Amino acid sequence: MMQRHMKTGGGGSSLVVEDVCKTFGHGADEHRVIEGLSLRVDPGEFVCVVGPSGAGKTTLLRCLSGLIRPTTGTIRYGGELLTRPHADIAVVFQDYRGSLLPWMRVRDNVAFPLEGMGVKRAERNRRAEECLGAVGLADVGDKYPWQLSGGMQQRVAIARGLAYEAPVLLMDEPFGSVDAQSRFDLEDLTLSLRASLGITVVLVTHDIDEAVYLGDRVVVIGGRPTTVVDNLVVDLGADRDQITTRADHRFTDLRTRVLTMIREAQAQAQGEGPTVRSESTSEEPAPDRSPGDAMGGATGGTGRGDGPAREKTGRAVR
Amino acid sequence: MSTRSPAALWQSLLKQLWLPVLCVAVLLLATAGSTSFYFPPATDVLATLWRELLHGGLVGDLLFSLRNIALGLALATVVGVGAGLVIGEIDLLRQATGPLLDFARATPTVAFVPVIILTLGIGSGPKIFLIALGSLWPILLNTISGVHGINPAVHETARGYRIPWRLRLSKVVLPGALPQIFAGIRVALSIAVVLMVVSEIYGSPVGLGNFILQSGSGFAVPETWAGTVLIGILGYGLSVLLLAAEYLLLGWYHQRPPRARRPMSRPLSRSEAKT
Repeated sequence: MMQRHMKTGGGGSSLVVEDVCKTFGHGADEHRVIEGLSLRVDPGEFVCVVGPSGAGKTTLLRCLSGLIRPTTGTIRYGGELLTRPHADIAVVFQDYRGSLLPWMRVRDNVAFPLEGMGVKRAERNRRAEECLGAVGLADVGDKYPWQLSGGMQQRVAIARGLAYEAPVLLMDEPFGSVDAQSRFDLEDLTLSLRASLGITVVLVTHDIDEAVYLGDRVVVIGGRPTTVVDNLVVDLGADRDQITTRADHRFTDLRTRVLTMIREAQAQAQGEGPTVRSESTSEEPAPDRSPGDAMGGATGGTGRGDGPAREKTGRAVR
Repeated sequence: MSTRSPAALWQSLLKQLWLPVLCVAVLLLATAGSTSFYFPPATDVLATLWRELLHGGLVGDLLFSLRNIALGLALATVVGVGAGLVIGEIDLLRQATGPLLDFARATPTVAFVPVIILTLGIGSGPKIFLIALGSLWPILLNTISGVHGINPAVHETARGYRIPWRLRLSKVVLPGALPQIFAGIRVALSIAVVLMVVSEIYGSPVGLGNFILQSGSGFAVPETWAGTVLIGILGYGLSVLLLAAEYLLLGWYHQRPPRARRPMSRPLSRSEAKT
């Protein structure tokens, strides 16, 4: 496996989110996406943040990466206030087509952050090749990203994150736009990289199965504005398998619980009973249209029972 | 770039050249044996062109014009791309300069000729200045819009990986805007050729513009045609050169899959939701 030349060992420091609110727009257009969200990620942990579309998952991840600052509240990395992107934090973006530079060959894309750090060319290329090897793309360094499939491009993006050698890897819906088979492969790749490197991973997804399959812990966010709805430990152990783990009753129990939480949070956010939820409400969250904007920061720990009776065990909350 | 084979380059040149060759052939046939004073046979014109290049002073004129156009364009490119990168990167500056730049672009640079001759004289300098001035606007405006049009995800990535600004400018912003910059330079080139001729027609002892003016005034019809043809060849040659440069520098852009596959702004709902 690849060696790390890490600045700080293992999973770096802990990432602590405290009472974060994020508001976009001003005056009448003001739109609160996140409210009173607190979250802690310890070094070496694999935390999946799961929530419905439009819940502000990407906003949260951008806050965590230091790309944007929360309106109120704090995000600390190792006790230090995070106000801009940090050398210890690498990001794998959802939009790999946009985030891989089409004018650079794959190897140069992977090595580019190192160039920014002033690493010499030979060393850059060596590390880039090493990281490409780690994601199973040892022989595509000379190609351009657009010559690769979607799944391969996302692998390149992961390799770039690895080459950066940050102890913390943030991933924003990283497998959202690849086909199902590649998706499974990429999930397992992420698990094995995490196991061998001991890095901290925060992965944001709308896919509940994915969150449960990957995470040591699943943080369910939802509501309107978004806050933490539930926080559950995934006791599936370190060795996971796409077939047996997903068939495990603990896995299905966890999935059911997460799904229930999300549906309740959504139902509450819409200010109506949990039975109202229909296909159309799920398609487009249109947060600014909900008049009440009710149910602020409450942790939606209300009893969960009757809600999801007619759930057709879809793998994702839509 | 290793992926750009010479064969592909030749192919692109051929695609550019077949029509001019056809036009020349048609011209030769149509004017053969012409007795018209004003429309001499094309062979006469070409013979005159050859003679003037070898024995007349036409090479000197050509070099003078070429030098002016090259320097003017180079100046416009350096200033236009440099300023465009800065203006395109800084939103406030872009908005502030918008109306001014549109005004500058809308004013025909040819209108400056009398003023420039009056203030700067008739040497080589004022001509280069005029060419640079006219070529500047398309390059500048295209650079600004090219920089502004870069996918936000690209900027996000550069910021997320803490790419220093110098590196970001040279390896992210500049290449990202390069396709548009080249489009601007192509427009600028044709403007530059016009301005070159005009600048040499008014108050100039040398240059291709002066050559056709003098020949025309002296009723030296084949010479006038020869000069005109040469200017056309010059303009065309330059644009072919530019195309070759673009092909070398923008291999990634031209080989990429069609536009449809380029990233669009993703809708909020998941794109894979459509079945």
